[in-house]
Amino acid sequence: MNITPYEAMAKLSLPDDQRERLAAQMRRLADSFAALEAADTENVEPLVTVLPLRNVLREDEARQIVSRETLLRGAPEQYDGYFQVPKTIE
Amino acid sequence: MDYFVERFCDDPGAVALDQSIMLEGKPAVAGSKILEGFRAPFTAAVLEKLQAAGVPLAGYARSDEFGADDLADESDSLSALIGAVAQKQCRWAIGNDWSGRLRRQAARNGVCYLHPTYGTVSRYGLVAAVCSMDQIGVAAAAPADCFALLQKIAGCDPRDGAMYADTEYAFAPHKNPIKIGIPANVLSAATAAAQKDLRDFAALFESVECQLPHFSLLPQVQYILSAAEFSHNINRYDGIKFGHRAANFRGLDDLYRGTRTEGFGEPVKLAAMAGAMALSQEYYLTWYDKAMRIRRLLKDALDFAQYDVLVLPNAVEGDKYTATALYALATLAGLPSLSVPFGKTGIQLLAAPRNENVLLAAAERGMTR
Repeated sequence: MNITPYEAMAKLSLPDDQRERLAAQMRRLADSFAALEAADTENVEPLVTVLPLRNVLREDEARQIVSRETLLRGAPEQYDGYFQVPKTIE
Repeated sequence: MDYFVERFCDDPGAVALDQSIMLEGKPAVAGSKILEGFRAPFTAAVLEKLQAAGVPLAGYARSDEFGADDLADESDSLSALIGAVAQKQCRWAIGNDWSGRLRRQAARNGVCYLHPTYGTVSRYGLVAAVCSMDQIGVAAAAPADCFALLQKIAGCDPRDGAMYADTEYAFAPHKNPIKIGIPANVLSAATAAAQKDLRDFAALFESVECQLPHFSLLPQVQYILSAAEFSHNINRYDGIKFGHRAANFRGLDDLYRGTRTEGFGEPVKLAAMAGAMALSQEYYLTWYDKAMRIRRLLKDALDFAQYDVLVLPNAVEGDKYTATALYALATLAGLPSLSVPFGKTGIQLLAAPRNENVLLAAAERGMTR
């Protein structure tokens, strides 16, 4: 099974030995998924949530949950109150 | 064996935590290298409640990466959360058992695991894995212990958008007679020892035979839906705002790919790719949409008017992937379930949503005889 397109979608660059192992596992999963076809799901609505709730939107009010300083503490790099990102355009 | 990566106290009455439950200022790594160096910016709702109730926190137990089960590892090494309770290193452990690994292992190792109704315990401050299945549950030595802790952590929290409205819960064993549902098609797939345990348990109650249509498709439905949601949730780990970042890269795409390749373990990479595949234009209808429809069929086939408690075995013939069917039913249908040691393999009890009390009564009755 060629998993390269999914590797790209998942933003991974697998080493060759790992790609081989995971491709074999992906193939086994994909083979097993073929069994779904037998289930008759005509006129069955997809189940998105198990809760008997309807969506209620709250007022869109700005709230501060965590301070800027606290959030920046988790960043790999920061500078002057901002996330610092590496140069990404050559 | 020490199951903890960080121990806060040695109190035998304390609660061990999965590494995906955040405590302000402490490393919040969810068992993943990708979150290396990240410290929780706030405290999870469950821990606020435990602290307010004066329940000591034992510390962080070594956790599976985002709670994912390694289906390729048939050796099934013991989860630290279950091990810590089994070895009496703490009284309770709390985690997010969307994969079923904790439930499967608990009942085989003398531990009870209570997986509450979806929407009972706030997930604010829990590192998200599979949103439609994420639910914090409790491991302890006895069913009553699990419920005692659940009572302290359950209740509506406006910071979790998918919860029942009740702000408080009081659990007590249901007093009425209990009728047990025995799913014949599941029983016949169980190992001989698990069949015996289930029959022995059911013999203590009035019982009725039933069928669970599409049971054999549960591993597929569970894997497709969980991988799809999971792959989406972990897209936030890109090495920019928090956690690990690859040291060497050429350009933005290479930074993302290098960071994620270094940061994720194999089961997580597999789920990320399988999830991306299930959501791709080519497979969306045949896999993802189809699995969501079968999820409805599975939920609608449950008939709690016929029985109060559905009993499932804790071991089936086949590999680990096949066995995920046993735990996927409660996860996919949002049901409460209680896995308890019984006989050689243990059993799992399921009830209608918000009917935890009947699980407590059935487990206590079954385990004391």
